Amino acid sequence: MLTDLLHRLRSLFRREDVEAEMDEELRFHYDREIEKLTSAGVTREEAVRRAHLMVGGAEQLKEECRDARGVQIIENFLRDLRFSLRMLRKSPGLTIVAVLTLALGIGANTAIFSVIDSVLLSPLPYPDPDRLVTIKQNDSLRNINDIRRQTKTLAQGGGVTLERMDYTGGAEPLQVRAAYVNAGLLETLGVSPMLGRLISPDEDVKGGPHNMVIMHHFWREFLGADPKVIGRSLTLNGNRYTVIGVMPQSFALPEDETDIFVSLWVAYPEAAPFRGVHFMRTYWRLNSDVTLDQAQADLSGIANQLAKQYPETEGNHPRTLVPLHQFLVGDIRPALLILFGAVGLVFLIACANFTGLLTARAIARRQEFVLRASLGAGRSRLITQSVTESVVLSFLGGAFGLALAKWGTTLLVSLEPAALDRFRGIQMDARLFAFIFAISLLTGIVFGLIPAVGATSGNTADSLKEPGRGNTTGKFSRVFRNVLVASEFALALILLVGAGLMIKGFARLQSVNPGFNPSGVMTMHLQLPISRYNKIPQQTTFRRELLARLNRLPGVQAAMITDLPFGDNYLDHRFAIDGRPPVPIGEEPVVQTLSVMGDYFGVMQIPIVSGRGFTEMDRENQPLVAVVSEELVRRFFPGENPLGARIDFARAANEPHQWMTIVGVVRDVKHGTLNEPPQASMYAPFAQADEEWRRWMSLVVREPNLNRGSSDSSRLVAQVKQQVWAIDNQIPVSEIRSMDDWMSVSLARQRFNMLLLGLFAGLAMLLAAVGIYGTMAYRVSQRINEIGIHIALGAQRRDVLRLILGDGAKLALVGITVGLVGAAAITRVMASLLFEVEPTDPATFIITTLLLATVALAACYIPARRATRVDPIIALRYE
Amino acid sequence: MPPRIELPQGTLDLLILRCVANEPQHGWAISERLQQISKDVLRVQQGSLYPALHRLERRGWIVAKWGASENNRRAKFYSLTRKGEKQLEAERDAWEALTAAVAQVLRTA
Repeated sequence: MLTDLLHRLRSLFRREDVEAEMDEELRFHYDREIEKLTSAGVTREEAVRRAHLMVGGAEQLKEECRDARGVQIIENFLRDLRFSLRMLRKSPGLTIVAVLTLALGIGANTAIFSVIDSVLLSPLPYPDPDRLVTIKQNDSLRNINDIRRQTKTLAQGGGVTLERMDYTGGAEPLQVRAAYVNAGLLETLGVSPMLGRLISPDEDVKGGPHNMVIMHHFWREFLGADPKVIGRSLTLNGNRYTVIGVMPQSFALPEDETDIFVSLWVAYPEAAPFRGVHFMRTYWRLNSDVTLDQAQADLSGIANQLAKQYPETEGNHPRTLVPLHQFLVGDIRPALLILFGAVGLVFLIACANFTGLLTARAIARRQEFVLRASLGAGRSRLITQSVTESVVLSFLGGAFGLALAKWGTTLLVSLEPAALDRFRGIQMDARLFAFIFAISLLTGIVFGLIPAVGATSGNTADSLKEPGRGNTTGKFSRVFRNVLVASEFALALILLVGAGLMIKGFARLQSVNPGFNPSGVMTMHLQLPISRYNKIPQQTTFRRELLARLNRLPGVQAAMITDLPFGDNYLDHRFAIDGRPPVPIGEEPVVQTLSVMGDYFGVMQIPIVSGRGFTEMDRENQPLVAVVSEELVRRFFPGENPLGARIDFARAANEPHQWMTIVGVVRDVKHGTLNEPPQASMYAPFAQADEEWRRWMSLVVREPNLNRGSSDSSRLVAQVKQQVWAIDNQIPVSEIRSMDDWMSVSLARQRFNMLLLGLFAGLAMLLAAVGIYGTMAYRVSQRINEIGIHIALGAQRRDVLRLILGDGAKLALVGITVGLVGAAAITRVMASLLFEVEPTDPATFIITTLLLATVALAACYIPARRATRVDPIIALRYE
Repeated sequence: MPPRIELPQGTLDLLILRCVANEPQHGWAISERLQQISKDVLRVQQGSLYPALHRLERRGWIVAKWGASENNRRAKFYSLTRKGEKQLEAERDAWEALTAAVAQVLRTA
């Protein structure tokens, strides 16, 4: 064993010595043979000839000796590698096209794979993540506590609602994001603080101590990463809150981003006791031996009991348990899977192209193969050599693909931060390298093997006689390449149709009238501190004063509303219509309720369909008025005149109604997303509101000649802030955004899907074009004498052009036809991503088909034109 | 010319081991010797001889040393190792047993 190994190692590492020795040994033999023959009286020439015959192919002999030495595999590999690199350097065009093709395919795949890996596949960053669940419907603190008391299947549970708190005491008043929680939420998620402790149950009570747990980033940015931060305090909403704990850097809430955690009971005692205030997202942990179904049965039992006990608020409030991971990725999952499918198709096209390129090359090098085979190289050696070459190419492709993926994922993250929240860019970890390595190696071997086997099959002697064409191998390769090109077109068409549908859907979505004119409007969010503005009159005074000041600024129109369009953050109320039969409690219709002040409809340019908007006279101590949306009229006053009718929020049986008279109807406005159906909504003046807890407002400020993103808008913002702080310098101005930005944020997900699918379809089309171009160019070069004969016999350029284009068109048409069938079958999986477009939309199918056919013809035109320039004299000599 | 016989698989190794058993020999001498002794019946092609030599060397049955040939040129001389001696003995016994058995069958069957 040992000698064997030493022997092999010597052969490997002292290769040159060993080779030289082998040469010398064989030469000695050869010379002795000649000596022997000449001394026996044979002439010198004859002796040399005989010795040659005896020794046989020296190369083959050496090869067999190397084999016998047992280092063949590694040595061959190294030699093949060197040879491959030399060959690739000699044909840089092919190398570049092949490497780029694969880099695109592998890069796109890796980028999407890394997104899927981190978003869909990797577990949530909490201990025992499989046992974490959430209830689809939000809940109130009271109900959470009842569920916690009664459940037999849920180990822990807690709720959170996100609010903003005013931080004063810094350079200017700011808002921080605060998670109002109950003691138990952070324990349920199972993460311990990095410093200090969490809020304990005995502190989570009405009048409890003003304590807070802070997030790591807040600790770093606001508190200078002070290691002795525990015990320090900040003024929030006018109270001093003491830091009692700091969360670790890796921690984040499952859905929302926050800066700090405070007890709901301490920070918002006005809302905490109300059972009907369903505003907390709840997270629960299943007992270890409990299934989701058991827990759901348990929870439904509790929900039924709550419904019986508190029919007014819990009567119509089902509770559905969902595994947390599913809940978080549910929205983006179909889109990501479709993108992964798309990128898989792109990869297939890239591979088809790659193997097509190699096939053409293998045929071009057929004579070289034949020569080497006749010099004694075995078929398996020739195949190994070819595959080594394709593996070298595929690894180069993989390396560039990795770079592309890195760049691509940066792009992905910049496109849609919200839905890819859990995706923090590509992780250069072992998994990723393993993925790239495996995909490159497999591609190189599988797609290199097919042309190599094809090119080395068949009889050596036949091939020498008729190099490169006419034989069965040539035919096989031609059919094979045709199939490849046609499949590329089929796949590309499927992608194009998919992208076309997305683009059409997106265009539809963008052309949806939001109901107002967003351009030239800046928006800002204000929240009045409870300490000085807990009653409506104080709030109204502030609001009126602020609008008066803003409207005095030159060229500026300002108004305010509780919640902005596209903010997706409006309040619904149940409501009643005067004079209609009473509806049972809990089953009244729901309407979006918005409070406004100033000429809101004028500033936003929301058309008034009938009646009037609000005026200065619609104020406190005046008749209560409301303006409603067209959809409300359609649904509740069909065929009636709503003007003059009276509506009010649904009230408890013993509570008197305060009817508001409808004085106007306005166009529907999208308050959620553009693709939602129109909602019934009603507007009422802030000054006539009776909900003093609505202390927030969004300013809408129109300056008609405002250029977006320019210094104009920052000047305007500065002016607004100045006016706010002139009235009260403790009020933060936050969420400063133009209305256009709000709109584009709301379109982000659709834009993301459309851009990526469009990009992949574009890639697919490009690759298919390269594929058909390569095939046709090769075909033309193969048929040069045939074309030459045609021309010599008087064929016109037009005829030659038609001949070649017809050839290419046939290929493309077969592919496109198959693609149409495939697309019709496949695009229905996209239905959930499309807005008002059928997955089999005929216009999209027709346009994409025409586009692809045009690209195919253009790609064929270049080689076809070259064919028309063939000089018959040269062509006939060409072999 | 007497008819030539294709060597059965494995017998070339045995013959080579036997040729280098008495004294170190180079490749050409081994092939000449095989030819002479077998009266031209066994003619070994270099195509099989040299790979076989390299294979036997790898197995540690023979070792190669460079030395001066009969006409004073550098040549590679192969000689038997201890391991090779044992192998030669074992193979010779096996061969003799085989030929005896085959002969027995041919005679009596």
